Amino acid sequence: MSRARKSPVAARDTAPTSSAKQQTLPFAEPAVPAAAVKPLSITPTAVQRLWFCIYLPNLPLQACRSSAEALAIVEEQHGIYRVLQTDAKAAAAGIMAGQSSNAALALLPALTLQERNPLREQQVLERLATWLERFSSFVSIAGRDVLLLEIAGSVRLFGGLPTLRQKISEGLAAEGFSAAMAIAPTPLAATWLARAGRRVCIRAKENLPAAIRQLPLTCLHWSNGQRESLTGMGINNIGDCLRLPREGFTRRFGAERLLDLDRALGDLPDPRDSWRAAERFCADFEMTEEQSDRELLLNICRELLLSHEQFLLARQLATQRLRFSFFHLKSAASELSLGSALADRSATRWFDLLKIRFEALRLPEAVIAVRLRSGLSQPLQAETARLNFHSKDGKQGRRYSIAQLAERLTARIGDQSVNAMTMVAEHRPEYAWSTQDPLSDWAVSTLVTNDIPRPLWMLPKPALLTLDCGYPSHRGGRLMLLEGPERLETGWWDEDSISRDYYTAMNAAGIRLWVFRNRQQAPDWYLHGIFG
Amino acid sequence: MEKLLENPRVWRGSSQTDTRVGLTSGYPKLDRCLPGGGWPLQALTEILIGQYGIGELRLLMPALAQLSAEESESYAGEYAEPGWIAWIAPPFQPYAPALQQCGIDLSRMLIVRPKDDSELLWSAEQALSSGTCAAVLLWPDKLDDQASRRLQLAAEKGHSWAIAFRPLNARHQTSAAALRLELQSTGEGTRVHILKSRGGRPTVLNDLF
Repeated sequence: MSRARKSPVAARDTAPTSSAKQQTLPFAEPAVPAAAVKPLSITPTAVQRLWFCIYLPNLPLQACRSSAEALAIVEEQHGIYRVLQTDAKAAAAGIMAGQSSNAALALLPALTLQERNPLREQQVLERLATWLERFSSFVSIAGRDVLLLEIAGSVRLFGGLPTLRQKISEGLAAEGFSAAMAIAPTPLAATWLARAGRRVCIRAKENLPAAIRQLPLTCLHWSNGQRESLTGMGINNIGDCLRLPREGFTRRFGAERLLDLDRALGDLPDPRDSWRAAERFCADFEMTEEQSDRELLLNICRELLLSHEQFLLARQLATQRLRFSFFHLKSAASELSLGSALADRSATRWFDLLKIRFEALRLPEAVIAVRLRSGLSQPLQAETARLNFHSKDGKQGRRYSIAQLAERLTARIGDQSVNAMTMVAEHRPEYAWSTQDPLSDWAVSTLVTNDIPRPLWMLPKPALLTLDCGYPSHRGGRLMLLEGPERLETGWWDEDSISRDYYTAMNAAGIRLWVFRNRQQAPDWYLHGIFG
Repeated sequence: MEKLLENPRVWRGSSQTDTRVGLTSGYPKLDRCLPGGGWPLQALTEILIGQYGIGELRLLMPALAQLSAEESESYAGEYAEPGWIAWIAPPFQPYAPALQQCGIDLSRMLIVRPKDDSELLWSAEQALSSGTCAAVLLWPDKLDDQASRRLQLAAEKGHSWAIAFRPLNARHQTSAAALRLELQSTGEGTRVHILKSRGGRPTVLNDLF
């Protein structure tokens, strides 16, 4: 340490090989007293922080939305599904964590196995973090099952620590979560205490070492191998770790582990990321008197959209949904929702969509206030301009403008009325295609099309043809069969199996038709398509 | 006199300077009868039919396949990228496997089903003037002179090709379309009657296909 404090000239004299380690690890020398590292730690003038840790040991089980009676959460470990957590009923049947799924099923055949869902757990954590934001301005998600709150500033507001702790634990219980909670001046110490199941509250940093020393190694987030080798050395709690020579400890377990200990004791700063719930925009425009001039209302909407754009611009966000509410004095508010296929923030584009919808909006009476609320915002997906030397101005970003066109059309004539088409690998003619959203990514069909011509027009449902002396007829004249039959017999695996002989036929007017004779029930003739 | 002739409203037969190259229809017989050697793009084409399925789609398929294909060279370098093809209020479902057999890129089809004629015309105008659709096919119930003029202008603005399918009785209506065709089935083949062609002359083509 002392060498590192020397003047730059002196530091250059030392061999780089010996100094490298010490410069990255200024605390590696055991002789240095704790006071020597103070400059890096929290200065005495800094506000005393207090961290509230919520540890959710049963999150995998509680995040799982299952109504099963006996439930076990399994996780794949080295190719075998092993039980991770069980509910009370499964535990009563003798199912324990670590069993293979087969062993668990042998014990209790009625057991429901659910695979662990990390995504769902993350969502639950985020939901809880959003809820916890009411207790503190600083909420942090630490790892897969730990939430941290900085509560030094909120204690007085909520009427003391016991009340605050009770409010949080009651809220968690109401949501159905069992949590271990602990309070300490550093986030790591609070986490370790909570993981060890100590329901303690340590307010002063001086009391921290005494509380931490007793904690078993199992409450650490270190790897199993490291914990096992520590246990092998006869080290059973954190106090033993702290007693080890720092240099040797670093050599054996790495610098990060030593820094963990320093951070837990508050000798090193431990900055955390603050979690923020997704932001929404909500703004009202109140008028001094009722207005029914639609032009004026549109202008107000534009004002709101412009401030919405500014809001999103400052945060590099965009949104897909907007909702306007027009408030009246007597009747209920008129609502107008707008949706966009691509997340957008441009006021001009939203205004274009609004104008189309606003024309059709009926306002029961004059408007006294307008509110704009945005849907969930998402990071703006910037469009990369394509490097196309041949394209003229206004011709770039074609996919983007088809999105705009589709949006404008759906805004006026409805969501279901604008579609794109795709092929489906299916031999039944009516299932060989499907509609899809015009903006989704295109699925490439794997079906090899045969050379037998198919009609360009398809009837929505096969139409029964009348018979003329046993021959199919259309519009008062017998059909002339030109080509066929092509037998399609498939679909036995679901409810809608077909067995048909298809023919190309021509009617009296010279129009080529695609007809079939049903082979399953009554041998009726049907018109299915027109060659066009 | 000179001033009078400079007035853009004065039309002179000799001043046909419109030498725009058309899009080949895939039927050489038809191409020869059309000014520019093919379909007049960036304009409105009307096809009059007595009943659906008479061959109106087969007539267009080669041209549409060309438009939807990658890098359409015959487009005189106007577009570097292929455009979309919008179907507005088709009477039946355009059948995807058949379209693929005709060589049409299915990923560039947009099918719009408006509720009434005013929505249909609005959608067609939007699609035409957006600049994203290479062709817009529409099946209106009624199309008056004013509406056809609007479509013609939108097609010019968006560099798009508008194709309106209309019943035979529309023949006696005036229309702003650059090209009007009538399709008739003769039993063995299809007869195409060119009623109006900007820069060309009315012709009858027997047995086109």
